[in-house]
Amino acid sequence: MTVTGIGARELATPAAPAGPEPVRRRRLLPAVLRNPWGRPRFLVLTTWVYIAWALLPVGIAMLFSFNSGRSRSVWQGFSLRWWWTDPSFSVFHDPDYTHALVHSLELAALDMLIATPLGVLLALGLARWRGRGSGAANGLMLVPLVTPEIVMAVSLLVVFTQLAIVPFALIHLGTGAQVVGQVTFSLSYVVVIVRSRLASIGPEYEEAARDLGATPIAALRLVLLPLLLPAILASMLIVFALSIDDFVVTQYMSSNASTTTIPMFLYANARGGTTTPALNALATILVVTTLIGIGVAYLIYTALGRRASTGEVSALRDLSGLETA
Amino acid sequence: MESRSHWRAFALPGVVWLGLFVVVPAYAVLAMAMGRVNFLLQPVPAWNPFGWNPGYVSKAFSGALPGGEYWPAVRNTLVYVSVALALCFAVGYPVAYYVARHARRTKGLLIMLLVIPFWVSYLLRMLAWIGLLSSDGYVNQLLQTVGITHPPNWLNGNPYSVILALVYGYIPYFILPVFAGIDRIDRSQIEAARDLGATPWEAFLRVTLPLSRPSIIAGAALVVLPMFGDYYTNDLISASPHTNMLGNEINLFVQGGPQVNLGASLVLVLMAILAVGMAYYVYVTARDARRFA
Amino acid sequence: MASGEVILRGLTKRFDDQLAVDGIDATINGGEFFSLLGPSGCGKTTTLRMIAGFERPTAGEIVLDGVDVASVPPHERNVHTVFQNYALFPHLNVFDNVAFGLRRRKLAKDEVRRRVQEALALVELHGLANRTPRQLSGGQQQRVALARALVLRPAVLLLDEPLGALDAKIRKQLRVELKALQEEVGITFIFVTHDQEEALSMSDRVAVMNAGRVEQVGSPPEVYEDPATVFVADFLGVSNLMEAEAVGSGRGECMVRVGEFVLRAGCGDTAACGAVKIVARPERLELLSHEDQRENRLPGMVERTVYVGASRQVIVRLPTGAAIQASVTNTGDAEMYRQGKPVSVYVPAGALRVLASGPAGERSDPAVPASEHAEPSGVRS
Repeated sequence: MTVTGIGARELATPAAPAGPEPVRRRRLLPAVLRNPWGRPRFLVLTTWVYIAWALLPVGIAMLFSFNSGRSRSVWQGFSLRWWWTDPSFSVFHDPDYTHALVHSLELAALDMLIATPLGVLLALGLARWRGRGSGAANGLMLVPLVTPEIVMAVSLLVVFTQLAIVPFALIHLGTGAQVVGQVTFSLSYVVVIVRSRLASIGPEYEEAARDLGATPIAALRLVLLPLLLPAILASMLIVFALSIDDFVVTQYMSSNASTTTIPMFLYANARGGTTTPALNALATILVVTTLIGIGVAYLIYTALGRRASTGEVSALRDLSGLETA
Repeated sequence: MESRSHWRAFALPGVVWLGLFVVVPAYAVLAMAMGRVNFLLQPVPAWNPFGWNPGYVSKAFSGALPGGEYWPAVRNTLVYVSVALALCFAVGYPVAYYVARHARRTKGLLIMLLVIPFWVSYLLRMLAWIGLLSSDGYVNQLLQTVGITHPPNWLNGNPYSVILALVYGYIPYFILPVFAGIDRIDRSQIEAARDLGATPWEAFLRVTLPLSRPSIIAGAALVVLPMFGDYYTNDLISASPHTNMLGNEINLFVQGGPQVNLGASLVLVLMAILAVGMAYYVYVTARDARRFA
Repeated sequence: MASGEVILRGLTKRFDDQLAVDGIDATINGGEFFSLLGPSGCGKTTTLRMIAGFERPTAGEIVLDGVDVASVPPHERNVHTVFQNYALFPHLNVFDNVAFGLRRRKLAKDEVRRRVQEALALVELHGLANRTPRQLSGGQQQRVALARALVLRPAVLLLDEPLGALDAKIRKQLRVELKALQEEVGITFIFVTHDQEEALSMSDRVAVMNAGRVEQVGSPPEVYEDPATVFVADFLGVSNLMEAEAVGSGRGECMVRVGEFVLRAGCGDTAACGAVKIVARPERLELLSHEDQRENRLPGMVERTVYVGASRQVIVRLPTGAAIQASVTNTGDAEMYRQGKPVSVYVPAGALRVLASGPAGERSDPAVPASEHAEPSGVRS
């Protein structure tokens, strides 16, 4: 207890008897866990147990892609059978698997190419546009983030199957509808990431550019876009990851086996008794691809963003779009 | 400044997109819920509000009440989500608190380890537990070595497995915002509390916890919203109608043939339940914003 | 031919329901160092932003060299700004930052290079052209911001608290340099600050602002020695503001009653009558032993003495209950200013100023000595 602490208590209770107040401390925790100046052991334990619990099952599942037997729950030895060496059932040889892989990448690329520019423009517009309609547009942008995916999926399904007017009549279930659905929810993430960067940049660089003779468009091109670049690149990669991981909307918007993605394939075969560890290999490919994308996004964001001051935590916050919630 | 119309022009494509693929579909669900089936038993939405048929909607809403046809699913949803949320808090808060407040050298590493599950495909994480919980999987092997010779059937209608999977699937979405919220709290405010005579526990209870409340609510919203619409966790881990949640009923009716009207009506039930939650969320955040402004 | 004269006529800015700038009229002469001085929220930055073009005035005119520019967009105004936090573009190096405006004017490459070098030489930063802003100290960033604006040869340079982000020592040094630079380039500087010492030490003229209005415009000695309003007297240094009653006047002097004592006041509104405010600067007061029989004295008791090095701030409690602060030169003898000692405060008639009664400002507690209040030249011995 500090001297100031005692002083404060005496001030608060002027009628207290003279002499130092005995230090009262409730003994709730056993001695092992109670060490106010050391590391909080109980928290350390919880954290590492949680992390082990969160990551070990995933690690084990990935490891089983190297199982030599057909089982996905009993280890029978190491092999590359389900990755490559089995000529008809390995993940890179079975056409069902390779097709899902290719289709997933296709969708992710399309989503990225459409959602990023659309989202960047929307973020710029929403951040600066004040006046009638801007409030509604802002609210609308948040809807996909706060609606359960199944609601979006069902509503898009109804539109694409029932509404025979342009533009809905031009889009059919399958790749077209899948791209539309994915863009619709990834758009919001781009907006959130770019806008939070825009907010941390602030208006003064743009004003300085205007002050020095730049037109509004020149200020945008020469100052704002270069400063936003890390956020734009990062949001591209995040859209990629969101797309490749998405299950619900992609499944609802699919038409037949030709539009199966990796997550859909996992869903359909996860419980199947005859499914081989090639499924684990496919899931491993999915995860590794996603994590590489996110890792690169993070590196770009912190490396380029360092010029305009951003910390690890704020990068994390920006990237996970947490400011919306 | 002088001309602001170009900002609105920037926003236009995105706004049009959201209008076409968020607003119109939202109305389409309503129209479908208020629709009919034609003579071929195909579902037909009622686009015109004057032609609305409230039959399916009233069937869905009355069925969602206790004793109704969909009550077991609604009850399961409410129970599973509540228990899963409580577990997310019980596990997630200490973890977020430790990483934000106490981790020093390991902080960067821990943040990375907390973020990884965020980006590991949900489906793979379920797949992992299917392997572990299968009858010859590692969980049962472990139980047998400690002498439990008749372990439960984890993957067929076991509500505990479903709750475990929900927590496992969604807890990263809880931890990250809570971590960010605690990390933002100025350390000197906690030190001030200690200096004024608070024990560490009192300082936590009276300073840290209240200050992190907005982020707890944000984290709770992030896990509760998707859990309410979840159907795939149940399909993968349980595959039994006993543990059906509202999402399963919707999925069944919408993807399973002629009952799309009913499925759309159940979507309205889901949104109504969430609206109650959202109203509370908006109320709480508005109150906090006023208090901390 | 651009002389850099700025005339503000009835300049007004309203944000939603809040009146930020309330009808300002002022003429800023070409080549003048003009300061807008006032507490935060007084509208000085909004005024500056309207001159720069970032805010459109709700009403009024901004006449720059004879042309009303109120609705000209910022990039078309021959007015440039040094921003509070400099707003140096973090993705460009020093050279490209300074060249930014020249390139917008589509100048030839070697012309750009020559003028950037010139500007960097002017602020003594040659050799740092390839650094990025992050690699510079605060003072250096400030000079880049100056160079970036001056390289465009503006008619008017606007400076928004440009020294605010620097630490005290560099700030004092840059104050001298900034004034010298202004004299060298001969451009009109409009300088916004809340620091009276900055405004008084650099400006040709100062406009003291409060609540969206200009309270007084004048040279630094004018506003400090002859404050026109209670607010100005109070905002610029410790003013020993007291309630008094004007009881008679004549020969350019005014008799004021403070409690049971009557003093002669030699300046200000000496024709006033009835309730007035009187002010006297601490450094113009003298402390005498309590037996001294000179006129214009107020008896009192030393309540507290604050040692500030070169001088002592002595706070004297008067029988009226008011406290008055005197600043005395440190002669090494502290006996007379010991706490509880009875003293007489001599207030020369020429130092006692009468202000027609108005609402007092908020900083009217003379018992709190200002640590950095301005000390006009010629008072110190």
